[in-house]
Amino acid sequence: MPKKRRRPPKTPRSAELVAEPAAARPPWHRRPEVRFLAVFLVLLAAGFALVTWNPVNDRVIEPFTAGIAVVSGAALELIGEDVEMRGTVIRNPRFAVNIRNGCNGVEAMLIFLAAVLAFPASWPARGVGLALGIVAIQAVNLVRVVALFLTGAYMPDLFDASHTVVWQSVVILAAVLLWILWADRFAVPRRAAADAA
Amino acid sequence: MHVRRFLRNLLLAVLPVYAVWALATPLYDRVLVAGGQAVVRLAESPNVTRLLPAYQDPHYAWIDRLDFPPARRRVHSFRVTDLHFHLVLLGALFLAVPGISWRERLGALGWALLAAFGFHLLLVLFWVKFVYATQLGAWSAEHYGAFARNFWGLGKHLLDLPVKLALPFALWAAFHLRRLLPRRAEEGATRPA
Repeated sequence: MPKKRRRPPKTPRSAELVAEPAAARPPWHRRPEVRFLAVFLVLLAAGFALVTWNPVNDRVIEPFTAGIAVVSGAALELIGEDVEMRGTVIRNPRFAVNIRNGCNGVEAMLIFLAAVLAFPASWPARGVGLALGIVAIQAVNLVRVVALFLTGAYMPDLFDASHTVVWQSVVILAAVLLWILWADRFAVPRRAAADAA
Repeated sequence: MHVRRFLRNLLLAVLPVYAVWALATPLYDRVLVAGGQAVVRLAESPNVTRLLPAYQDPHYAWIDRLDFPPARRRVHSFRVTDLHFHLVLLGALFLAVPGISWRERLGALGWALLAAFGFHLLLVLFWVKFVYATQLGAWSAEHYGAFARNFWGLGKHLLDLPVKLALPFALWAAFHLRRLLPRRAEEGATRPA
């Protein structure tokens, strides 16, 4: 006896959603950007409260920042600068920088992390995004520290503007670009696949 | 929204927006200093705070306390330009959104700039209060308790770093996230994050 074929459901899931009365759904379901923003801001505040807390700052952030100084110093030596590292300070006879909170890329990382976690996506997609994004943000930050040291050493008049206006904007812009690329490539189902379903 | 077009527009918009911001900065610094002084005075009685542009470096402003002796009246300075450089990112993000009319694009940017101006005034208030509560040694300790010092200090730190840096993205998401991800907007109704 031939098996009876199971018919696919007539109404796709999205149509069921449309059929649901809008008033029955809470406002943050009708406006996902509101939900995204609320979760993003809560995660951002929690992240910064955590890294501002003295025990975390002393045991995690300071050693991490010292590590950034070591890597940046090594990068500067690689391009021929004779530098000396002491804690979070990189110096040579021409110039010295102290890498502090705000210069270690942690802010950009937390903004990226909050945006990735606030976005409706699968956990594997979030894992990929966080791993790649954090490495990329730190790579951009390394370029920033090296460039700022060279600016301070050879073009000191431009240091102030470079330090805040140019490089902070570049690092945050990099975080935003990475998030948009992640959301488009990894987190959102491809349009064709969605259409086929 | 086409993400590639958006990213291309974003990179193309950064330099022109930076040029406009750099041209407008001297005027905006003055507006912010004057507006900031008005906001600070709303939070104090009697009105003893005066904010003045620093003529040696136009990017800076001085905080004066009129109840201090003339020799110690000038208590601190801060870099006004640092409070609003994120406008470059804000402008570029809003102008880069493809597939909408210029009227709609500029309208959203106008609202975002208004919100950013409110944020800048709040940031000036926190900067001044932070200086009073934590930077004036014995005078700070005498006039501000432990809670007030922590409140103004942490508030200034949070507003001046994370909130300032995240604000352009947050405002952009508030206006345009649904354009970037229309399908995701539908799915958001069923799938929790």
